[in-house]
Amino acid sequence: MSVIETNNLTKVYDEGPIPVHAVNHVTLNIEEGEFTAVVGPSGSGKTTLLNIVGGLDRPTSGSVKVDGIELSSMNESNLIKFRLEHIGFVFQSYNLIPVLTAKENTEFIMLLQGAPEKQRTERVMQLLDEVGIVEQANKRPSEMSGGQQQRVAVARALASRPKFVLADEPTANLDSKSAENLLDLMLKLNEEEKVTFIFSTHDQRVIDRARRVVTLEDGKIVKDEKR
Amino acid sequence: MLLVKIAWKNIWRNKVRSFVVITAISLGLWAGVFGSAFVQGMMKSKVEDVIQTEMSHIQIHVPKFRDEYDGSLYMKNGSEIADALRAKDQVEAVSERMISMGGLASSRKNGMIKLVGVNPADEKHVSDIYTKVIEGSYFESKKKRPIILSEKTAEEYGIKMNSKIIFKMLDVDGQMTDIAFKVVGIYNSGNPMYDKMTAFVKLDQMRQGFGIETGSNEIAVWLNDHNQSETIAHDFQDKYSDLEVLPWMDLSPGMRMMIEAFDVYLYIIVGIILVALLFSIVNTMLMAVLERVREIGMLMAIGMTKNRVFKIIMYETVFMTMIGAPIGLLLSGLTVGYFGKNGIDLSGAAYEAQGFGSTVFPYLDIESYINVTIMVLFMAVLAAVYPALKALSLKPVEAIRKI
Repeated sequence: MSVIETNNLTKVYDEGPIPVHAVNHVTLNIEEGEFTAVVGPSGSGKTTLLNIVGGLDRPTSGSVKVDGIELSSMNESNLIKFRLEHIGFVFQSYNLIPVLTAKENTEFIMLLQGAPEKQRTERVMQLLDEVGIVEQANKRPSEMSGGQQQRVAVARALASRPKFVLADEPTANLDSKSAENLLDLMLKLNEEEKVTFIFSTHDQRVIDRARRVVTLEDGKIVKDEKR
Repeated sequence: MLLVKIAWKNIWRNKVRSFVVITAISLGLWAGVFGSAFVQGMMKSKVEDVIQTEMSHIQIHVPKFRDEYDGSLYMKNGSEIADALRAKDQVEAVSERMISMGGLASSRKNGMIKLVGVNPADEKHVSDIYTKVIEGSYFESKKKRPIILSEKTAEEYGIKMNSKIIFKMLDVDGQMTDIAFKVVGIYNSGNPMYDKMTAFVKLDQMRQGFGIETGSNEIAVWLNDHNQSETIAHDFQDKYSDLEVLPWMDLSPGMRMMIEAFDVYLYIIVGIILVALLFSIVNTMLMAVLERVREIGMLMAIGMTKNRVFKIIMYETVFMTMIGAPIGLLLSGLTVGYFGKNGIDLSGAAYEAQGFGSTVFPYLDIESYINVTIMVLFMAVLAAVYPALKALSLKPVEAIRKI
């Protein structure tokens, strides 16, 4: 079953003298449980594509459906709600809330969803355990390493039980060991919990371990390789 | 609770910035309260001086008497009116006066002064001038024709205690009369303009000067509640329609205008302070928002509604206001309390020449305290609206650049 379906998705930036086709007629299906890397050189449209799929940006034309729901016709507040309920985000520079602890950061999404306390506590501890940072639960981001922060970010992304997790170059700011550990974690979650991951990356180690690699150039898919 | 918790923690992220906002709110509130208290204290002491020393609460005259102090315009039944007023519940005291403008001559100077004939026992209940005697006494002397002059008049005319002076006045028939007086007391009311013009003698001796045995050309009334002056004066006016009954506010030329003008000054002072406060908070909170563009973008990206983002920024300002306001109020209370008791000496500031006391005792009624506080709180919260709206205008995709 498709979690993400795009059809002729196009995004044109015409702010400068020459319109730029950041995403050019992209048709892509991501199935549940996939572990997909979107790769390509800088300016190839990876980020724009993921922004549109994540409901953060709107296409110029074409359609994008998440779990069968068309995103391009949704208004702003419905999109925010949709993101909260259906999509987990992992950002390149972690982007945790600096004043909250690891536990509170993970719990944050569930609080926004209005989940009851008991359910929150159980889920948060389970997630922190899964990502291997239970001992850091009461530490703030500034007290943790980059790798630990990114693990919290993964826990936070999963807390809302999203349909899929979008990750923007999740290993870009990590040293090789932390990057390897994070990748192991994401693969484990993908295999054991059937979490769907879609991420953009330049990191060859990540690309090597992805189960599907979609390559973009000038906004177009030039290669779509399933392994 | 989540938003409240984040907002509370956020304000301690940059302690210096929060301290600036809290200090701005405290100082803004303090300046607003103290400025208002200063102006109100100045006005209150002026009003009290005017009432206690010069005007009492209500005065009654024959119409047009006050235009030229014409001695023929007097109330023949003044004593009956005074007795009738004394019987009223709202009236605490009544004093009859005979007043004449006349010439005072000395070896140093010739000039005009206003001689006020009073019954000392009655006068003490409507005017505190007896407490302002700095030399001699308030008609306690056995001297035959006692007069009490101001220190200023004594200096200007070169008159000393126990000196004999001649006062030239017109009697009720318009005939010039000379009366000799002996200086038994010298006063200083603190209002040079009043002092320069006014001297006191005994009522019966003024009547003799006027050539009458009874009657008075001024009746001063002291009420239980000075806030009722206008209403009661209006009632008396209805009863004594052939006389002119005026409350203290209308007795002194420009008094009503001055009180109203001071109210305007008060609004201007508070207004300037509030505008300064507004810009200070807008500036600081805007910095706080712009510093967190990426974070706010992330919050909206992962599913925080704009309404919640707006609330966080507003809560942050509300919390800082809740810390700053009590500090400002405490500071205000302490300074207004201290200076209200000890006064602020402004003898070098030339306020005396305008009829104000040289020492100002700041004073603020509870209502004004509340009003200024509400205005400051309102302004502080209003100041947060623009930065909060600025936060809402951020687009997550632009704020975080990338997902």
